[in-house]
Amino acid sequence: MLAATIALVLLIGAFHPRFLEAGQLASILNNAAYIGILACGLAFLLAMRELDLSVGSVYALTALACAMLVQEGVNPWLAAALAIVVGGLLGLVNALLIQYAGLPSIVATLATLAMYRGLTLALSEGTQVLGPPLESSFAQVVSAQFLGIPVPGWTLIVVASVLTVVLRATPFGYRVRSIGSNPDAAAFSGIPVGKVRMQAFVLTGVLGGLAGVLTIGYLGAADPNTGTGYELQAIAAAVIGGTSLAGGRATIVGAALGAILLGVVGSGLAYFSVPINWNQFALGAVILGAVSLDSFVRRRRRQSRAAGGLRL
Amino acid sequence: MLEAQGIRKTYGGVVALGGVDFSVRPGTVHALLGENGAGKSTLIKVLVGALPPDSGVLRLDGRELRVRTTADAVDSGIAVVSQELSLFPDLDVLANLFPMREPRRGGLVARRRMAEKARPVLDELGLHVDLDQSVEELALEQRQLLEIARALCTDPRVLVLDEPTSALHEDATTQLHQVIRRLAARDVAIVYVSHHLEDVLDVCDTVTIMRDGLVAVPAVPAHTLSVDRIVQHMLGDRVAAEMEARSHIDSDAVDPGAPALRFEDVTLGDELRGVDLVVPAGRVVGLAGVDGAGHRALLSVAAGVVRPDRGRVVLPDGRSLRHSIRGAIEQGVAIISGDRKRFGVMLDKSVWDNVAQVSTVGLRRDGLLVRAGRLRDRAQLQVASLGIKTPSVDQEVGMLSGGNQQKVVFAKWFESDPSVLLLDDPTRGIDVGAKAEIYKLLQEQSRRGAVQLVASSDPRELAAICDEVAVFHEGRICARLSGAHLNAHTVLEVMNTGVPPAIDPPER
Repeated sequence: MLAATIALVLLIGAFHPRFLEAGQLASILNNAAYIGILACGLAFLLAMRELDLSVGSVYALTALACAMLVQEGVNPWLAAALAIVVGGLLGLVNALLIQYAGLPSIVATLATLAMYRGLTLALSEGTQVLGPPLESSFAQVVSAQFLGIPVPGWTLIVVASVLTVVLRATPFGYRVRSIGSNPDAAAFSGIPVGKVRMQAFVLTGVLGGLAGVLTIGYLGAADPNTGTGYELQAIAAAVIGGTSLAGGRATIVGAALGAILLGVVGSGLAYFSVPINWNQFALGAVILGAVSLDSFVRRRRRQSRAAGGLRL
Repeated sequence: MLEAQGIRKTYGGVVALGGVDFSVRPGTVHALLGENGAGKSTLIKVLVGALPPDSGVLRLDGRELRVRTTADAVDSGIAVVSQELSLFPDLDVLANLFPMREPRRGGLVARRRMAEKARPVLDELGLHVDLDQSVEELALEQRQLLEIARALCTDPRVLVLDEPTSALHEDATTQLHQVIRRLAARDVAIVYVSHHLEDVLDVCDTVTIMRDGLVAVPAVPAHTLSVDRIVQHMLGDRVAAEMEARSHIDSDAVDPGAPALRFEDVTLGDELRGVDLVVPAGRVVGLAGVDGAGHRALLSVAAGVVRPDRGRVVLPDGRSLRHSIRGAIEQGVAIISGDRKRFGVMLDKSVWDNVAQVSTVGLRRDGLLVRAGRLRDRAQLQVASLGIKTPSVDQEVGMLSGGNQQKVVFAKWFESDPSVLLLDDPTRGIDVGAKAEIYKLLQEQSRRGAVQLVASSDPRELAAICDEVAVFHEGRICARLSGAHLNAHTVLEVMNTGVPPAIDPPER
């Protein structure tokens, strides 16, 4: 996955050396950070056979919440923290709908996708709301660069690293994958399936809030239409990264890299002067290609393993 | 007649079938026997077109048969009832009976025609269910009968039954055997695979025994064989695995103050009507009954799956059972089901991942950081002590044989050190050798002082491994059999009649 991303970067760079300039790459990483952070949360949900379609709306609503709090005179840092809490609460609403109304997650979050977006539009009256002023310490920190990489990029790196440890080395991560692998066996092994699901949805909401707060700090204003369609890009990133839609398997680093790969493709297309209206099509083709390749490789591997371990 | 000649099949260098001849004539019931791994499942897959052989030919009535898919096989009149239940749980009974072969009318599915065809088949099998009932709601036994009904709906000329009775109780088995005999009388050729050797001798005319990918005993008349002889042939030179009855303990010699699992007046709708039962530590108590008699409901109550309307369950440490699955497991209850694919294992995960599932993952006994290296070491110990045959603890469980998968289930529970073991058909679909090893594991748990409750659809199994068997009838315990009364014959009789044996009045 990492190799594929680097290879693509180098390939584009071979034709257009300007693509390899640090500023350009850093800007790609920065743009990919928001979807990447969302994709990390989705990787957890997909690993337990759940889905959250509302992440893009949570992202927009928390950005707006942060901006509105700042407008009310709340300290930007506090506003950001509260907005992240709002993200967690929005995730909790998703979880409660799924848990107590018994809705499948795709249905519940399809509804909240529209509702959260609608709330964003209603509260903002359809216009941009200014966030923390550029000279505030919050905006300064978020738009700062460190080793050439802007803070949102670093946030993605930190989030992906921490969540990788959570997925690979904590009971929570094992529980998530257990449930995805065989939900009945998980319940009959003492795993509190409902509670774990709730935790995963809250986590996804918190990550949505984090991404929303970063965007408001970086851009300085909340657009009520921001993040439209991010849910699908985030799912695509997770799947490209190697998370299985059938559950049981996930990679957080893969999800982050998947988002970066999508970013690379998106800006690479501009260098090859592909008309902007073909962008969507090209992105779809990349997703299809990456996923087919992955599925092909996995099938081959399974066949060779099946030959080794005879089962009658 | 269906004839297979010189069938060879290898998997990556391992010979599964080393040149097998097999044929079944119309009007006969032909048993295909062998231990797990002897090659019978592979042979069946070849016969029904699910697996292409490396070499060899299939002939149907002397004409070479080219089946590439199971659909081809069905078109040629070969139907199979597989060991793995392969129904569609979300669909209703009728839809399950005619997958891909729905009678149509003008492009639409003709449900009434389907129903007309299905009803007599279901009636003949004694399967009384609504046609529009969802399969999910059916009991295991009903699902198995439905699977058989589905095969019969194709009007097969050759019917392959792979472990058709593994989930059936005695009366359903008897009824199925009658149906099989009637089919044979209609000149259907039947291949019958089963681990229940007495069933085999009951219904089959001819027996073929496989061993190590070859035919060890080709097509001999069933009446010339006994269970003992068959087991000898199956095992070959290997020592016959003994299913020897353990020394039964006298149930009166129980210290009333000793730790025990107690059911007090447990009532659950019509399923359980005030059940009292005491199972002292170190004892194995069997729960027997026909479908719906209440023995399985009692197991569900003890597992925390359902909350009883009245009464309570007291665990050996004196606490009352919390009525949730997680609560029960936290309190030291282990739930071991024969339906391991559904409730027991994660097929796509490694042995060590599975072994860690209860103690480390479910109960979080290792704290907030999981160290894979330590879990693998611990799994390694379990693999060694349980004799799980696997190349390594990193092997995917789905690649193991059924018996070894079930041992992985035991391993994950032993890791959690349970005080109560609830076993629901713990050896379903497992060969004789693996069964014997699992029985030994249960005996060790008794010595450790664990309480064991076993429900089984096989009365022989109950008689062999239990100190006492509580027989359920219409929601009540109608007899508790131990000592001289504890044998498969009596268990069966009491299960079906609800009348306790003469000298042993019911203890209620």
